[in-house]
Amino acid sequence: MDYILDVQDIHTFIGQYHILQGVSVRVPRGSITALLGRNGAGKTTTLKSILGLTPPRQGKIMFEGNEIQGMLSFNIASLGIGFVPENRSIFRDLSVEENLKIAERKKGDYAGKKGFIFTLFPDLKRLINLSGINLSGGQQQMLAIARALVADNCLLLIDEPSEGLAPVLIEQLMKAIQQLSAYSTVVLVEQNFLVASQLAEYYVIIEEGRSVKEGKMKDLTNDKATIQHYLGAA
Amino acid sequence: MKLSAYFRKNLTLIIVLAVLSGLFIAAANGMESKDFVITLLRGLSVGSLTFLVASGFSLIFGLLDVLNLAHGTLFMIGAYIGWTVYVRPDTLVDLLTPLALLLSGFMLGDVWIALSNRILFGKRLKRILPWVGIFISALILFSVLKQYPIAIWKVANYAQSPVSISYLASQGQNILMPPVDMAGFSPLLGFAGLIAGSLLLAFCLAVMKAGKQAATICITWRNFSGFVVLLLAGILFFVFNNALTDFLANLNSNWLFLVAVLVAVASGIGLGALMETTLIRPLYIRPIYQLMLTLGLSAIGIEVVRAIWGRPEFTMPRPELFAGTGEGCPATSLADWWQYHCSTMLVMDGRIRVFNEILIPVIGIIVLVAVWMLLQRSRLGMVIRAGVQDREMVEALGINVRRVFTLVFALGVGLAALGGVLAAPSIGLSNLMGESFLLNALIALAIGGLTSYPGAALGSLLVGLLQQFIIKYGQIGIPIPFMDVIFKPSPPIVPASTILLMVIILLILPNGLLGKKE
Repeated sequence: MDYILDVQDIHTFIGQYHILQGVSVRVPRGSITALLGRNGAGKTTTLKSILGLTPPRQGKIMFEGNEIQGMLSFNIASLGIGFVPENRSIFRDLSVEENLKIAERKKGDYAGKKGFIFTLFPDLKRLINLSGINLSGGQQQMLAIARALVADNCLLLIDEPSEGLAPVLIEQLMKAIQQLSAYSTVVLVEQNFLVASQLAEYYVIIEEGRSVKEGKMKDLTNDKATIQHYLGAA
Repeated sequence: MKLSAYFRKNLTLIIVLAVLSGLFIAAANGMESKDFVITLLRGLSVGSLTFLVASGFSLIFGLLDVLNLAHGTLFMIGAYIGWTVYVRPDTLVDLLTPLALLLSGFMLGDVWIALSNRILFGKRLKRILPWVGIFISALILFSVLKQYPIAIWKVANYAQSPVSISYLASQGQNILMPPVDMAGFSPLLGFAGLIAGSLLLAFCLAVMKAGKQAATICITWRNFSGFVVLLLAGILFFVFNNALTDFLANLNSNWLFLVAVLVAVASGIGLGALMETTLIRPLYIRPIYQLMLTLGLSAIGIEVVRAIWGRPEFTMPRPELFAGTGEGCPATSLADWWQYHCSTMLVMDGRIRVFNEILIPVIGIIVLVAVWMLLQRSRLGMVIRAGVQDREMVEALGINVRRVFTLVFALGVGLAALGGVLAAPSIGLSNLMGESFLLNALIALAIGGLTSYPGAALGSLLVGLLQQFIIKYGQIGIPIPFMDVIFKPSPPIVPASTILLMVIILLILPNGLLGKKE
């Protein structure tokens, strides 16, 4: 299979703590792959390690056939990786438009993607001059995803998009993620198994800093015992 | 209930108005209007200089989280560099050639990276070799630079010290710039040494960093253009050394002052960039070490200034546009001043100095607006505002935050150097000028809000005004209401008053007037 991203047995330390103790994730091109696991299992650290925000000490990360571990974060991101962090990290002092414009990697990125972004998230068009601090949680999440779409990213790392949102909003977001996955590969970290199982084609389960199981989402949804064992969800 | 909510909402405004009206009411009570205007303008002037230090400090602290305690020293170095350019342009011209040659090797950055990627060292060799190279290049550079002829004054010899030179220059006499002793120096050998040292140093530094940049770099003739330009510039500066010195020495003092300002700001920017990339950058994960580092640098800077320019205080002569005393002076209006180039001007019967009390506040306001526009309107400003809040996310968007850090640090130091070179003709040069302005700037920032740019301006304004008003009251005294006592604040109350204001404001608004709640 053609893998756009191939994380091979990475070990990451934060301070003196050995957080990732051997995580391997393979992401097929054009798919949505979900990282599953309990709180504190190391899913977010895996995403950050891919981006070099918490650089791994051991292991290999291949993106589009090139090794990217050890490179500086901004260089990795410039290769075409978009990041939607867990806390959304909207720039509060910047307006919605500035939040989008800052993600430009070359001039005209924003102007070119504007149409696509506003069809995905019509709300943002109305809020364009509002400053980030005035947005609701759902609006912030939309903006965070939209921001990752401005540059030409062929891989999106999305961390906990549904966290803290009302069910109506979650549905809207799921639709948007489904639509944008037609254009780029998505790695999704999701606590809410219902959401993850509806969106993703592939899954990787991470437990206590190790990747323990991977496969097709179809097979997992039927495997109640595994779900119960690793995720504690029914 | 509504009233208290209103008070809470507009606390900043109310405090500012209270402080200002306190000053003004006290002024109306026993101060003549001319004294009032003079004191107000002096406050603006001191406030502007404080602002130039404070704004750079707050930009650096906001984005980089670095408390740059060397900022005051850099302000002072700006002043001394400005003085050197203005009074001894021959020294500047002599320094240009070695500087250009020293930098030339670093213009080949991409070539070095490509080269070091091409050459495969063993792991251990890669650790040791760069250090050996750096050592060798340091030896070469040191031995060449020691012999390199540069015109300089003699601190130990009073007749040739900066004090005497300044005095002569302020009397309008042409200073005799002694010709440089070229004996024992062969230009060819000197050039070769400088270029070789610079190339070796730049290459070794590139090898050290190798492997962290994107791998493939295409080398074309463009990569060599910077090197060639600097090389040619170095040689041209050497060949036309005397012509350039004569040109600068005979330049109208207004233009020379402008050159001095530009050179001081450029050196501030260069010094800031150098400091951030070499010393501050490795210590971002150790904030305490960083604090110690900047504190140490400030002490080193003061000693370097003492070694080069000496301990005694001296002043930089004002440019001709602000130095006239003859016919038609003091001027009665700006038009008059423009015609006669008076050093002083009458405003409401009070005499003010045009350079100190008009030019400096005007430049302060221009800088305030320019940097504000940069922050609000440009892409760099957008990245800075975003980076203040969340550095990691900015980096995750693919923006080179390190480069932005270097730029902001350089910009901040450049602003401090601008303040220094403006302070040189107005308050004079001394080894301790930096410390007092840094203290003022810190108080101003605490009052205005540490990372707020408009807060830096507001705080500096309040500090400047308060200090000058207290100084004035020290001369004329405040009549205490309902009593027959006239209170004259003694000089130590001047710094104490600003600290008192800071304490009161921080008790009411812990984040400063315009600071944001964390």
